Amino acid sequence: MTLSVILFAIGWPLVMALLLMFEAARPILWRMMPLAALPALMLGLLLADPVSVRGDWFVLGLSVGLDATSRLFLIFTSVLWVAAGSAARHWMREDPRATTFGVVFLMAMSGNLGLILSQDAVAFYGAFALMSFASFGLVIHSRDAGAQWAARLYIGFVVIGELILFSGLVLAATQAGSVLLADLRATELSGLTVALLLTGFGIKLGVMPLHFWLPPAHGAAPVPASAVLSGAMIKAGLFGILATVPLGDFIYADHGTVVMSAGMLTIFAALLLGVQEGSPKTVLGFSSVSQMGIIAVGLGAGLMTPAAWPGIAPVLVFLAAHHALAKGALFLGVGAWAVQAGQAGRGLVTLAMLVPALVLAGLPASSGGLGKEALKAALADGSPVWLPWLTLALTLSGVATALLMARALALVWLVPPKAPPARADALALPFLSLAGLSLALPLLWPVLEPEVAAPVLAAPAGALWPLALGTGIAVAVAITAHARMIGPENFVAGLMAPFHAFSERLRSLSAAKRRAARRVGYAAPRILEATAAQWRLGQTAVAALIAAFMVIEGTAGLREDRISIPAVQLGPPASDDAEQETLEAQPDAETEQRATPSGQGLDWRD
Amino acid sequence: MTDTLTEMLTTLNGSLLSDAPLLPLFILLTSLLASPVLFALPESAARLRAGINLTVAALKVALVGWLGIKVGQGVVYDISFNMLPGLEFKLQADPLAILFVSLSAILWLVTTVYSVGYLERGPHRARFFGFFSLCVAATVGIAMAGNLFTFLIFYELLTLATYPLVIHKGSAEALRAGRIYLIYTLAGGLVLLLGTLGLWVLAGTTDFTPGGVLEDVVAENRLAAQALFVVLVGALGVKAALVPFHAWLPTAMVAPAPVSALLHAVAVVKAGAFGIMRVVYEVFGIETAQALGMTAPLAALAGVTIIYGSLRAITQDDIKKRLAYSTVSQVSYITLGVALASPIAAVGALAHLIHQGLMKITMFMAAGNLAEGLGVKKVSEMNGVGRAMPGTMLAFSAAALAMIGLPPLAGFVSKWYLAQGGLDAGAGWVIALLLGSSLLNAFYFLPMLYRAWFRDGTIEAPARPRIGWMLAAPPVATALMVLFVGGFANAPFSPLEWTRFVVAIEYQE
Repeated sequence: MTLSVILFAIGWPLVMALLLMFEAARPILWRMMPLAALPALMLGLLLADPVSVRGDWFVLGLSVGLDATSRLFLIFTSVLWVAAGSAARHWMREDPRATTFGVVFLMAMSGNLGLILSQDAVAFYGAFALMSFASFGLVIHSRDAGAQWAARLYIGFVVIGELILFSGLVLAATQAGSVLLADLRATELSGLTVALLLTGFGIKLGVMPLHFWLPPAHGAAPVPASAVLSGAMIKAGLFGILATVPLGDFIYADHGTVVMSAGMLTIFAALLLGVQEGSPKTVLGFSSVSQMGIIAVGLGAGLMTPAAWPGIAPVLVFLAAHHALAKGALFLGVGAWAVQAGQAGRGLVTLAMLVPALVLAGLPASSGGLGKEALKAALADGSPVWLPWLTLALTLSGVATALLMARALALVWLVPPKAPPARADALALPFLSLAGLSLALPLLWPVLEPEVAAPVLAAPAGALWPLALGTGIAVAVAITAHARMIGPENFVAGLMAPFHAFSERLRSLSAAKRRAARRVGYAAPRILEATAAQWRLGQTAVAALIAAFMVIEGTAGLREDRISIPAVQLGPPASDDAEQETLEAQPDAETEQRATPSGQGLDWRD
Repeated sequence: MTDTLTEMLTTLNGSLLSDAPLLPLFILLTSLLASPVLFALPESAARLRAGINLTVAALKVALVGWLGIKVGQGVVYDISFNMLPGLEFKLQADPLAILFVSLSAILWLVTTVYSVGYLERGPHRARFFGFFSLCVAATVGIAMAGNLFTFLIFYELLTLATYPLVIHKGSAEALRAGRIYLIYTLAGGLVLLLGTLGLWVLAGTTDFTPGGVLEDVVAENRLAAQALFVVLVGALGVKAALVPFHAWLPTAMVAPAPVSALLHAVAVVKAGAFGIMRVVYEVFGIETAQALGMTAPLAALAGVTIIYGSLRAITQDDIKKRLAYSTVSQVSYITLGVALASPIAAVGALAHLIHQGLMKITMFMAAGNLAEGLGVKKVSEMNGVGRAMPGTMLAFSAAALAMIGLPPLAGFVSKWYLAQGGLDAGAGWVIALLLGSSLLNAFYFLPMLYRAWFRDGTIEAPARPRIGWMLAAPPVATALMVLFVGGFANAPFSPLEWTRFVVAIEYQE
């Protein structure tokens, strides 16, 4: 009974895909597109207890079911597919290749849901392959040169990834003497096997240097497809690692070191590469790469120090859900922006997009802030050598994400994305639902799985300053870019105009007042103008960044002390926040005056 | 499953022994006797000919099904009589024979439907179906031969019966291909004759016996046994298209589509691969062959063939030629699995005998449909054919993805067992080989799927398909089989399950 229900949840999108081949059925099937993932969502919501059923006749002995982890994956994944299906229905209404899109979309959906529900290596591998191969059709959809290139890159990585996975799974199954994923997880797999599994899934996860396919593919695919590619499908890489690698029982120190280093590199290298991109969706893709770097850091720590894994695992699941909802919302937001005709609508969509963007950048007490703090707390059980660096990296990742978000939001306005003819409100519902869910995630998570959610909710809310710093730099860069565009002299003149106007007005004032104000009125513009001439704004921003680094290095030691005491209180300690605010304010003041050596930032804190 | 069968074997042994002992002979005679009737029918009697063909083919499937059930219950069939003093004509229906007979019976039925549709208005249909029937009879004989001598008779008959099919079109190219085919296979047959004589001299018997008949000879005359192995496997390697004896196979693709389908899936290449199985398992015995140091070189040769065939396939623009090189590669999986000398790999090899047949016949029939329905014969012309012929291309895609090894399709099951068998035999390089082969498979199949489904075609979809159901249905049916034998690999009476049963016999002491 359960078996057939689960098989129905996996197979229903496939049935719809098959029916799409018949012209008469197409209109009604497109209407039903949001419902394709509904059986899986209901399954996830209703099956609260772990289930596992066997179908001995299928392939090499099928096993499907749900446990706490896969249930959470199933819920957020199917939520994304429901939202994307609803968006696709409108986005594809006039598209000449809508049928092909619908078929591959449904096939990828079935694969994605299937891999979460499978509990044996063969079914998992089959579903993973179905999802990966079908997504080729999503990436290539537009058929323009960029999409062709992206799709070619994508399929190359898919084929290689599948082969690596095949060998990894064969080796693992041979060593475990079973095809059940639970047995794989409980066996001390050889180093080579684990390396193959990590590489195969790492490609899907997009951790550098295996990320090359990801940003172009997410940029090229139509909006609803990008949302699931970035939101749901790359999480299959994480899910695969959680499902097959024996984390928490055996030490894989070398693997851990490599994964962790790759993760740290990924967080920041994705920023550097991402800000150069010229399309909002590609920038969002790089942001996904950067976020998966955070996940890789957690995985690496778990491989290195099994003792820390029980603390890390629930946080990684939470971070996966957090990124899925926020990034899905952002991609759908780009689509919702594009179908708006007027400036007012676009402005409103941009404002709404700020919600998932801020959540993703680690807004305190949002899922981003909580997740990062929880990960820091979990990592405290790991290697003490790495800890300060990891803390630093995780903290600065907020800056990186803020910058990427700013870049993406700016690009939406600068390079408006192409949009199909659709009603202006067509994409609003799925977009706003996902944005709302991403904001509400910290409240929803404990309702679903209280035990898994506990460590996340126990974390402090997180700091505001990385987000603020990132926003500050983004604003500074935007001003620089603006200045460069209209010419620096004009820019400075424009900036100074109010001051000059003020001094003009001074002349008309009474003599007494004139004398008092003259000192300020004439001196201030002159001083500012001189400073601005010498210090171009770009340099100011760089100086601010360097100062920030110095300050953070100083605080890293302090944080270490704080984290080593298990944090149990709910919500942020107020004093901590205040402290961060002052820290954030200092470097800017310092560079403006450019008199104090930046090292003094440490003294000011006391 | 195997346990259940053994249980049945003990409980039912004896009680059913007397049940239709000549069943294997009937099965052989169905197509053998149909052949002269088909020759005799006038060219115009198309309906009658089709009726006879289909009736006989269906009858054979039913008889083979019955035989399979009986053998599964443990009934032993053994028919033999002396042709010359000492030279025994012997038919036996052991589980290994059943595996091959079922494949040929089922695919013969499918291909017959397809051929009737394909040759609807073509010339020389009497000749074609006569030899077609003979060809299948020869295959059945090869499957059920109880000794190498009987095997040789049917092996040669197969060569002679397929030649007219290869040259059926009568064009200069077809005649040339036929000549090359004859040279290779007759030479191979001659060497096999020498090998049979050699075996007779060395062992005093040519009977196929699980565990082999050469154990004593090896102890006395190791070199002669090694030479015999090389001669026999080399001779069979011609039909199995092992490098460097493979050149005839890609040339022979000029034959009509149903012939190519049968040649690649059941008849010729499979006869070679099946022969290698019989020789390694039941003439030498796997342990003896291993002790002779012959299995490792054979595995290496199979490995070379797998990679070489795939490499050549990539550069072919002609669809059938690409498929032909792919066969060269895929059939050697069987040889590889046999040569690895691990029971797990053997399961993979035997299962692949069936799986490759189903996959490749699907692809050849689909290629035939493209040529018939749309005039598409080259890969570069395949743009947008998916929309024009969705059923055919769905079948083709399923078979291609199965070849690459995606679960739950048939090819995955073989590859999984071969890979595990490689690890079991301590030959980790097999994994690398399979990866390389799958990568190359992806290289030459995925572009075809890409063109068919994702490129906008120059071909306008015909308002009504230009192919009848007799062409459209067979590839879809075999594609469904590809799905089911993989998807239900663990079910009772699946090819995989039967294979485990066979391997349990071949590997028991």
